[in-house]
Amino acid sequence: MAPISVLVVDDEVDFLTSIVHRLKLRKIEAYGAPSGDEALVFLKNRAVDVVVLDVKMPGLDGLAVLQHIKENAPEIEVIVLTGHASVESSLEGMKLGAFEYIIKPVRLDELMTRIVAAYERAVERRTDRHAAGP
Amino acid sequence: MGLTYSKLARRLVSISLVIALVPLYIFGAAIYYYLNSVQEKAHIEALRTLAMNRTNAIGLFLAERTGMLEVLAETSSLEQLSDPHNLERILELLNRRSRSFLDVGIIDGQGLQLAYVGPYALEHRDYSEASWFQQTKMRGVYTSDVFLGYRGVPHFVVSLKKGNRPDSWILRATIDSEIFTKLVRSAQLGPSGDSYILNREGLYQTPPRFGGDILDKSDLDPNSAPRGITVAARTTPDGRRLLSAYSWLPKEDWLLVIEDEGGPHSLTRNVVLSILGLGTVVIVLSILMLVRLMTKRLEAQDKRRAAIDAQLAHSARLVSLGRMAAGVAHEINNPLAAIGEMAGLMEDLMDEAVNGSPHAALFRENVMKIQHHVDRARSVTHRLLGFARRMEPHWDKVNVNKIISEAYSFLEKEAGFRRIEVTLDLDPDLPLLKSDQSQLQQVILNLIDNALDAVDDGGHVRVESRLDKDRILVRVSDDGHGVPKDIQDRIFDPFFTTKAPGEGVGLGLSISHSITQKLGGDLMLESEPGNGAAFTVHLPLVAD
Repeated sequence: MAPISVLVVDDEVDFLTSIVHRLKLRKIEAYGAPSGDEALVFLKNRAVDVVVLDVKMPGLDGLAVLQHIKENAPEIEVIVLTGHASVESSLEGMKLGAFEYIIKPVRLDELMTRIVAAYERAVERRTDRHAAGP
Repeated sequence: MGLTYSKLARRLVSISLVIALVPLYIFGAAIYYYLNSVQEKAHIEALRTLAMNRTNAIGLFLAERTGMLEVLAETSSLEQLSDPHNLERILELLNRRSRSFLDVGIIDGQGLQLAYVGPYALEHRDYSEASWFQQTKMRGVYTSDVFLGYRGVPHFVVSLKKGNRPDSWILRATIDSEIFTKLVRSAQLGPSGDSYILNREGLYQTPPRFGGDILDKSDLDPNSAPRGITVAARTTPDGRRLLSAYSWLPKEDWLLVIEDEGGPHSLTRNVVLSILGLGTVVIVLSILMLVRLMTKRLEAQDKRRAAIDAQLAHSARLVSLGRMAAGVAHEINNPLAAIGEMAGLMEDLMDEAVNGSPHAALFRENVMKIQHHVDRARSVTHRLLGFARRMEPHWDKVNVNKIISEAYSFLEKEAGFRRIEVTLDLDPDLPLLKSDQSQLQQVILNLIDNALDAVDDGGHVRVESRLDKDRILVRVSDDGHGVPKDIQDRIFDPFFTTKAPGEGVGLGLSISHSITQKLGGDLMLESEPGNGAAFTVHLPLVAD
């Protein structure tokens, strides 16, 4: 079985580096992108199962990235992980199709649980699409 | 009443008194002068009528007496009249109907009294030099002014001449002064009124009641009085204002004077003054009562407004504190997440990195402590964010007892572990309440949690629900140490806590208070230090 592939998008480089490393230690095919723009460039070249996305970032912010992903690759599940939580942004995120909205800091075990759940949903969707295929 | 309200009350009383009393006094003065003027006019008319009636009566009296003497002179001879017995009988007849003649005498053409009947010894007196004798001889009929004569007593006479020279004789009678004075004084009006007769020289012909005697000189000049009847006001030398009626008697030499007090009528003055006095008392009392009532209401209203302002200020403070808390939480969460992840990574790599090192255990312990403290800090920032959230309540029909039971179920294990006896005394007939289930649950959970924290192991906590008119009350009480008086007014402030550091950030009661108010209710504390505390949530039964 292919490992779960995850792209973590966050402008906090220390956080990004550590979490990517830790995910990899947990047999996750993890990648990191330090901005929204770089995340979109990455996704153009490569598909992942789940994106863990920060909201407040310089340049393209998390909600714009989410919208872009949902428009161009709706099979990717997105978990919003942010320190800047507000009712409005969480509602917006859920409306745009985020799988989960989590406030930082979060224990990696908890995050792993959500990533696995998101991955299962992604797989489910893909299966459904193939079943309904041409 | 505060100083400001006393000052306001004084100002209101002064202004109201001026506004109410000035028109009253102006109106009173106008009424007073109007009534006086009407009354004076009536008074003048009354005096005029009285003067006319009295003039007629006195004129008639003198004419009647003169007529009686004329009849006597026509029907009797000198011999008959000169007989003292006859004359005495005649005087008796003359006075039979009304006693008005004092004496009567017969005088010959030379002025010698031939016969006399009366109280004085005047027989054979010589009147040839007397003014009345000469006037009678000249005019035929004459009524004299008052004079003293032989008797030395003021009197006046009516006389008439009979026959021609040299055999002419005169019938003369003295009018009883007492009777005549009574007749004149019958015109007198009131206790301060007067009525008398003056001759052309201004001498009293009848005695006045005040300030003079018969034959004294009056301060009036009769010659200045016009013919007919006139009424005029005058002021006496002693300062009294009099209304005087002047009327010349048919005799023409005599002036009848009738006087009455001309000043304001005391009854009018008393009535007007009484109305003004009563009006003033009523107005002053009414204004005092009204102003007192107004200032009391104003003060109460201001107090209510001040309480609302304080509440608004408190809410505003909560909102700004909430925003600040959210900002702080946001700023801390990102570095906290980085620290957490880095510590996590260190933990992950620990085995291969420090294995074999004598400090491996210490490294591991410290990395875990870092994780533990990140978790602590996370719980704080997450609660701060919870406090900052201002979500609109989601209204639904909720069962308050069910919410209490559910909230308690979360804490039942902790209570059991600490042997705390929790009593649920729930009114089974509570109606459904329109409220936000999850927020209400948060409040009740918070209050029970606080109560459990407040009591020692083995303590008691009681949760009650009951209906109170148009609201539901939820009361959570404990038998802990209570809340000291000096901190009771700060207990709902954010970040205010009595718990040990690390056990609470002081947001629970503040959030509960904020939520309760958002749900239209209130949260109250009752506590006697040393005797536990009771928090009561008041929830209004919102109509559909």
